[in-house]
Amino acid sequence: MNLPIRPILVALRRHKAGTVLIALQIALTLAIVCNALFIIHARLANLSEASGVDEPNVFVIKNQWAAERPTAQVDAQVQADLLALRQLPAVRDAAPASGYPLQGGGWDNLVTLTPDQTHPITDSAVYTSDEHFIDTLGARLVAGRNFRPDEVMVMGTQQSITPPTVIVTRALADKLFPGGHALGKSFYAMGTTPSTIVGIVDPLHRQGVSQWNKAYAGQALIWPLRADDARGIFYIVRAKPGQLAAAMREAPKALYAQSRMRIIDPKDGVQDYAAIRHKVYDSDRGMAILMGIICAVLLAITAAGIVGLTSFWVGQRRKQIGVRRALGARQRDILAYFLTENFLISAAGVLLGVVLAVAFNLWTVTRFELDRMSLAYVGVGVLVLLLLGQGATFAPALRASRVSPVEATRSV
Amino acid sequence: MLKMTHLSKVYRTEVVETYALRDFNIDVKEGEFVAVTGPSGSGKTTFLTIAGLLETFTGGEYHLDGIEVSNLNDNARSKIRNEKIGFIFQAFNLIPDLNVFDNVEVPLRYRGMKAPERKQRIMDALERVGLASRYKHYPAELSGGQQQRVAIARALAGSPRLLLADEPTGNLDTQMARGVLELLEEIHRDGATIVMVTHDPELAARAQRNVHIIDGQVVDLSVDPRFHAAHHAASEAHG
Repeated sequence: MNLPIRPILVALRRHKAGTVLIALQIALTLAIVCNALFIIHARLANLSEASGVDEPNVFVIKNQWAAERPTAQVDAQVQADLLALRQLPAVRDAAPASGYPLQGGGWDNLVTLTPDQTHPITDSAVYTSDEHFIDTLGARLVAGRNFRPDEVMVMGTQQSITPPTVIVTRALADKLFPGGHALGKSFYAMGTTPSTIVGIVDPLHRQGVSQWNKAYAGQALIWPLRADDARGIFYIVRAKPGQLAAAMREAPKALYAQSRMRIIDPKDGVQDYAAIRHKVYDSDRGMAILMGIICAVLLAITAAGIVGLTSFWVGQRRKQIGVRRALGARQRDILAYFLTENFLISAAGVLLGVVLAVAFNLWTVTRFELDRMSLAYVGVGVLVLLLLGQGATFAPALRASRVSPVEATRSV
Repeated sequence: MLKMTHLSKVYRTEVVETYALRDFNIDVKEGEFVAVTGPSGSGKTTFLTIAGLLETFTGGEYHLDGIEVSNLNDNARSKIRNEKIGFIFQAFNLIPDLNVFDNVEVPLRYRGMKAPERKQRIMDALERVGLASRYKHYPAELSGGQQQRVAIARALAGSPRLLLADEPTGNLDTQMARGVLELLEEIHRDGATIVMVTHDPELAARAQRNVHIIDGQVVDLSVDPRFHAAHHAASEAHG
């Protein structure tokens, strides 16, 4: 088949408005769809992001105190609670915590290597707990040691204490001290007191899952602190394998047996990690669905635009099609003409779209510290838009191919 | 070259059947220049569209260059139109978005001809109609006569065996019409078979033979008094 590419391009130059509008629509759709697909994929990938927690066996109790008490009383109660929890037959370990991985939100501090450094090196999520924290989460200590019981300090409400020892994640250790050898090194994350790294865990997710903190993902530190907030505390509990349900049932009873002066919400006061993960990624799921809908709507609008323009052109060129048929064009020549015409417009659109897609992604990388988009998304987008164009053109082009050659003899 | 025997063309609706051609017989020999005349609605254009394989017929036989065409599929009909027939339309039917060169190229592309041969044929055809220097012009930039010459060049470029002209001077003034007619005569002298539909007796008189259609049938002028006078008037005008 001798595709009339040059004559089609010549003819399109004389129909600039429609051609440029559709090409621009395709370009914008491609730019948006590529980036949306990238975000959708990233969001969906988040749903299965490693938390560093032994999720099948760990649950969290949100314990609120019914009345404010002095720090010493709170700490005594917390220690008694933890002892009760650890003694439950279904429980392997339990730890107090200011927050937990995938909690949503959380505590972040800026990190420097010297106390007077004006530009922080990075940002780190902050966990406070005791020497049971790592075992309770099921996190992996890959270097150094765990906290000793005597290193654990108590911090009351409104207090600010920086413990001299700290355990950090591999990601934070590498950020602060590239090339390894972070153990024994010190840094500043709160005030002017340094903390010395005694252990490294890997991985351990931050409390938050927001994409805007993606550059800091995996950067977290653990201080040996029992933060005895007068309002409440999280108890993280690790059940023995296969005994999660029993542990979740027995744990609140054990706590209430210690003291009734607390509130554990019967609805969501005790949550396993399946529920925690589902809840924290709710916005990711919602965003993925929203982006998917936007993509579908955009693609539908673009397809409708192509169908509309092609149908208009077919109607406008009915006589011309008849002439071409009279001069020897077969039905498939007419079909090929319109498909080729659309391909050329779409090709121009996707070329511009590729530039826009990459530029938009670079903007999000610099503005929001998102990841660089893989060119595979652009490739998929290009393929989708080209196929969409051909698909949208097919029906009107088929109608065009069925125009009788006798149209050539009809007066306009 | 073109032989129709007992050919009929019927347009059917739910309530009525209209015969556009009825028991239609015509035999055009190779190299003939035949004018087909008749009043409006007599079936001239229907004859031409069937002769040019632009539409099908209802009954009878049609042999074109020795081929019985009634059972050909669309592709085969397109191929014959492309290779054996050249069309000249009253309204020129040039493609407004294409320049003269590209317009003449249209049928050659559908033949799958290579670019160098296409270019040679296009320039030869444009040379023949005296418009080689205008090959970059668009139809809107040409006069009616020039547009019709481009259309003739388009019809000639494919070296067709049969040239079908539908009122080729119908949209032209006298001077331009004369020029186009002289060109057709020249083409005929070079050996082409031409069938020209016209309602203009003066134009018809320039052809070798006249065929008259009335009510969808070929009629013999010598025995039909309705057309006798018109025939004589045309002959005298060119006498």
